[in-house]
Amino acid sequence: METLLNLAGGLAAHLVPANLLAMAVGLVLGMLVAVLPGLTLVMGVVLALPFTYKMGVEAALILLTAMYVSGTYAGAITAILFRIPGEPMDVPLLWDGHAMTRRGEAAQALGWSLAGAFVGGLISAILMVALAKPVATLALKFSSPEFFAVVFFGLASVVALSGRSVVNALISLCIGLFLATVGIDTIYGAERFAFGQPFLLDGVEFLLVMVGAYGIGEVLIRLNTGFKGESVQGDGVARFRTAVPSLREMWRLKWTFLRGTGTGIVVGVVPGAGATVSAFVAYGMESQYGKNGKALGSGVPEGIVAAKSAATASVGGALVPLLAMGIPGSGATAIILAAFLLHGIQPGPQVFVNSPALVNVVFAAVFIALVGMCVLGYFAIKPLCKVLDAPEAIVSAFVVLFCFVGAFAARNNLSDLYVIAAFGVIGFLFERFDFPVAPMVLGTILGPLAESNFMTTMVSFGGDWTVFFTRPISGAVMALAFVGLAFPLLKALAQRLRSPKAAPPEPS
Amino acid sequence: MSPRLRHCLPHFVMLLVSIALYRAALQIDTGATAGVERIGPDFWPKAVIVFMGALALFETVRRALFGVAAARAPQAGTMMPDAAVDSKVHDVNAPAQTGAAAAGAEYPRLLLAGIALIVGYVVAVDRLGFFVTTFLFLMCFIRIGGYRRHALNALVSLSGSLLMVLLFMRVAYISLPLGAGPFRDLSIALLNLLGVR
Repeated sequence: METLLNLAGGLAAHLVPANLLAMAVGLVLGMLVAVLPGLTLVMGVVLALPFTYKMGVEAALILLTAMYVSGTYAGAITAILFRIPGEPMDVPLLWDGHAMTRRGEAAQALGWSLAGAFVGGLISAILMVALAKPVATLALKFSSPEFFAVVFFGLASVVALSGRSVVNALISLCIGLFLATVGIDTIYGAERFAFGQPFLLDGVEFLLVMVGAYGIGEVLIRLNTGFKGESVQGDGVARFRTAVPSLREMWRLKWTFLRGTGTGIVVGVVPGAGATVSAFVAYGMESQYGKNGKALGSGVPEGIVAAKSAATASVGGALVPLLAMGIPGSGATAIILAAFLLHGIQPGPQVFVNSPALVNVVFAAVFIALVGMCVLGYFAIKPLCKVLDAPEAIVSAFVVLFCFVGAFAARNNLSDLYVIAAFGVIGFLFERFDFPVAPMVLGTILGPLAESNFMTTMVSFGGDWTVFFTRPISGAVMALAFVGLAFPLLKALAQRLRSPKAAPPEPS
Repeated sequence: MSPRLRHCLPHFVMLLVSIALYRAALQIDTGATAGVERIGPDFWPKAVIVFMGALALFETVRRALFGVAAARAPQAGTMMPDAAVDSKVHDVNAPAQTGAAAAGAEYPRLLLAGIALIVGYVVAVDRLGFFVTTFLFLMCFIRIGGYRRHALNALVSLSGSLLMVLLFMRVAYISLPLGAGPFRDLSIALLNLLGVR
């Protein structure tokens, strides 16, 4: 009952005009970035972040949460109608969604996608509200070794799930952790890696790393492969509509909804996994365990529902570790974490004690954004598809400018523009040489937390590093982190042993 | 350069960077912990740098010994769609929507021109002011991006620049550079025209 009352308080906060406006803007922006060529959801949320500086913390979090929720849906429309996945998470929708479109069942495919997104999002949001406080209460019993272990687990998970090479992902993470040490050390006040540059004494803002590597880096990657000159959409947008399935039809697919949603929540909770991994894992599970699994890929609703319910369910899942422990469960929640930090609030168990109203606002924002997403997704297909008319060169030029203005908004410092441009080039080089960007960004955000908890533990326990492994909770979490790191290595080794001829021949 | 060397290069560079950073870490003042059995402010960055250097060394040696095969062999952390994790994916079986992108072609000159424009913007904005630099940047970037409708490009760049000045300086109250000399006068005249105080 108390939880419901708190949630009602969060909903009431949305009646403030500024918050309501933030919700509306967030919903529209989320849909636009999910559809626009050259913009990913994470990049869109990153670009919006600097402009939340001047907002109140509630409005800022509402805007970013709404973007996150609505951004997980809109890409489905272009994937189903035009075979253009707006986001990586929408790729599975090509297999069944677009196949249905080719059969003349586009409206039904869009309807199943909307139903999947709503049901998955709703169930995960309810679970998020139910789980976040108990997890936070448990986390309140943590001291610095446990917190370090949790942060270490988060960083290890991101590494394990990032790209093809664990070594490259670890190097990327180390770069992020290193960047977080630049400037004045908070414990001893020592100057580190300033190289005589006064602006480096303040440290490297994680915002600059994020905006540069994701925003400008992505633009450079696409420029290198050539922008699309003109519109990519076909004609006949006007005839598209959404035919929402009846409750009876949805009940028939109840196990698909549950499998997809369950997968999305579980994968969403794992730090670093996010909506893309959720959608692919759920699709794979449906093809293996679903009653109609063998038909997946031929244009059946099960393929759409599994992927879409999982992608949206990952939102609630990813917000649980963020709010309860301060560990982001996905790329977008890493940016929401940054928004908290920019407003001087550290998410984690204390936020439930010190700023419970703020947590309830985020919870309520997820519910409202889900409804808004469905309303917009139902009625705004035509204008959303028109967005595809925007030439990529124009969109990308404005993306770069938004990155620069974002840097100005942060500290009003011209030096930051150089930093952001440098990280743009670094982001491009990372992509080019197969180093994932996500671990670097997360290392920059979580680095200070990791270092401070590590140093506090070392000081408190007389430099005894075994404490991380001997205390029950931290030991268990550290073990999980190492298992997470070792699992892909062992899997790759097993693959090689099974197929010794898989590796290509040596170069001459 | 042989393929084997080329595949070693990124990690070798990372190794050199690690060595340089470690040397810089040696300069950190550890006076606060002198004479006390306690780890100092240099411990964490040194640990991170050493780990990074070790990884870079390992990968350099691995690639030097096993060549391209090592770089391509299935590795840890492989998730389903590799490309899908970090960047937007376009289905390779889709009708040719992205032209060169679909064919896997690369345009290093375009890339260099793009980087030059970005760096040029950063260098020029303090002198030319936000409005003029933004207008020039938009015009040039959209042009090198392959957009051929020049009149529309000019219109988009001009209206985009004006809109951004209005949006950020009047609505969001972000202080953007005004420029120097005549460009400052121009910026101030424009701001007066737009009603920005």
